[in-house]
Amino acid sequence: MNSADFIALLPLIVPALASVVLLLLITFSRSHAVSVLFTLGSLLLSFLLLFVAGGGTPRRVTPLFIMDAYSLFFIGLLFIAGIVVAVMSSRYLGERSMERGEYYVLLLLATLGASVLAAGSHFASFFAGLEILSVSLYTLIAYRRNDDRGNEAGLKYLILAAASSSFLLFGMALVYAQTGSMDFFQLAEGGRVPDLTVVLSAGLLLITVGVGFKLAVVPFHLWTPDVYEGAPAPVAAFIATSSKGAIFALLMRYFSLMDLQRFPAVWYGIAGIAVASMLIGNLLALRQNNLKRILAYSSIAHMGYLLVAVLAGGTVAKTAVGYYLAAYFATMLGAFGVIAFLSGEEGDAENLEAYRGMAWSRPWTAGVFVAMLLSLAGIPLTAGFIGKFYVVAAGAGAALWIPLIVLVAGSTIGLYYYLRIVAVLYGRVPEGEGGAVTGFPGRVLGMTGGILLTVLTFALLWLGVYPAPLIRILQATVARLVP
Amino acid sequence: MVPLEWYIGLSTVLFVIGVVGFLIRRNILIMLMSIELMLNSVNISLVAFSHYLQDLRGQVLVFFIITVAAAEAAIGLAILISLFRNKEAVHTDEMTEMKG
Repeated sequence: MNSADFIALLPLIVPALASVVLLLLITFSRSHAVSVLFTLGSLLLSFLLLFVAGGGTPRRVTPLFIMDAYSLFFIGLLFIAGIVVAVMSSRYLGERSMERGEYYVLLLLATLGASVLAAGSHFASFFAGLEILSVSLYTLIAYRRNDDRGNEAGLKYLILAAASSSFLLFGMALVYAQTGSMDFFQLAEGGRVPDLTVVLSAGLLLITVGVGFKLAVVPFHLWTPDVYEGAPAPVAAFIATSSKGAIFALLMRYFSLMDLQRFPAVWYGIAGIAVASMLIGNLLALRQNNLKRILAYSSIAHMGYLLVAVLAGGTVAKTAVGYYLAAYFATMLGAFGVIAFLSGEEGDAENLEAYRGMAWSRPWTAGVFVAMLLSLAGIPLTAGFIGKFYVVAAGAGAALWIPLIVLVAGSTIGLYYYLRIVAVLYGRVPEGEGGAVTGFPGRVLGMTGGILLTVLTFALLWLGVYPAPLIRILQATVARLVP
Repeated sequence: MVPLEWYIGLSTVLFVIGVVGFLIRRNILIMLMSIELMLNSVNISLVAFSHYLQDLRGQVLVFFIITVAAAEAAIGLAILISLFRNKEAVHTDEMTEMKG
């Protein structure tokens, strides 16, 4: 490795160093404000260093990492999500009496793991990034040590994630046995991948199982609602966005290098997963009364929509995935942000009935929440609409009619439960039960919450009304993914 | 020399035993042990492939796996202890706070 390699890797080195420094720092000062500011500062620095690293791209740094425009775009997205989650957590933890410094160490490490995935080009970096991300997440999910649900969610996630990692590893071992290489780019070279043998198809199948678990697509979705419910709201936001987005970035790179269309069995398998996720995710959300669980099922359906773009392949699909993920990040962070900022000491504000009539007493908070829900549903003028439009365009370009029909049907079902929440927000408060929002009296968004959610809402509307700048960025970065 | 197929067979059998144990047992400790069995069967196959291909990368990945398995077990047991302190449960049947 020479100095140019180090400069290209700086955006990954800084969060790694920062987590160690923060660990030392909290042995001297347990001040919450210091931890928060340090975390935000180092994430911001890493984000700015992306522009420095961008000068030397595309660059292969050892066989493990590829720093090209594609990975830089996704790493940037992950850092922004990390900053938003850190701001959310500062208020969330600030109101609870528990150890706080370690939370930010884990958050930095989880962001690092996700970024390693986005830049990974080798089975070893795939596995290392995945585990840095997962192991930090186990602890973050169970961070409320005295909370039964938190412990239960952490343990469920750990058991299932560890099992899915072993499936993934066995798949990697079998692919390695067949091709003699772990390097994505070597796999892509002509003639390295033989025609589908039993061992190779078993390997690809096992990798699909492992990745499918991380993306929480049907039939590997069973952990999702429980984990979202048990995890602290900011951590649930992180799982819904960064953890899935990073895997998705890696999956797109892997499949476009391997040329997915060459393996009809794998292609049909993913098509089946996409269709099942869109249908089952939306249908199961209908009967929920817990906001976090609704968002969990909604995220399952959204991953199904994204897989349609992966199936399509090609330049349009890559732009679609980039745009959809950016819109999905802003929306999910906003929706979980509302829950996180309204949550009090006694538990997260997740019960749908507690929100009844909130729009009359707190029009702005409710307005922000409605904007997020409409974007999740894909209503025009929001970012979610443009994202879905692009996915449909990519799917239609590749003539994927059956997945597209299911996508439209799924979105229609989705509309029902998103609008149900809106109806509750604008509903009439039953007489004689005191003021509105009885579940969390006196809880307001506060200064940080107000600013953060306003920024997210404006980002959402801006992306929905004037998508051209982001499309241009995507065409210059994500769409140029080789081959 | 033992042919490669035998190694693939051994690791597959071990992996399947791990999966079955993971699926049918309800004790968290046994489930964690089954996961270790699955990971170690992957290690056997990686070392065998690595030797067969005369390529060291497979063996390096084994070190990654051993390290991560240790970290996972440590955190898993820590969470289990914290759960046990709160409600004295080690069986998945007793973990029913969340449903639906």
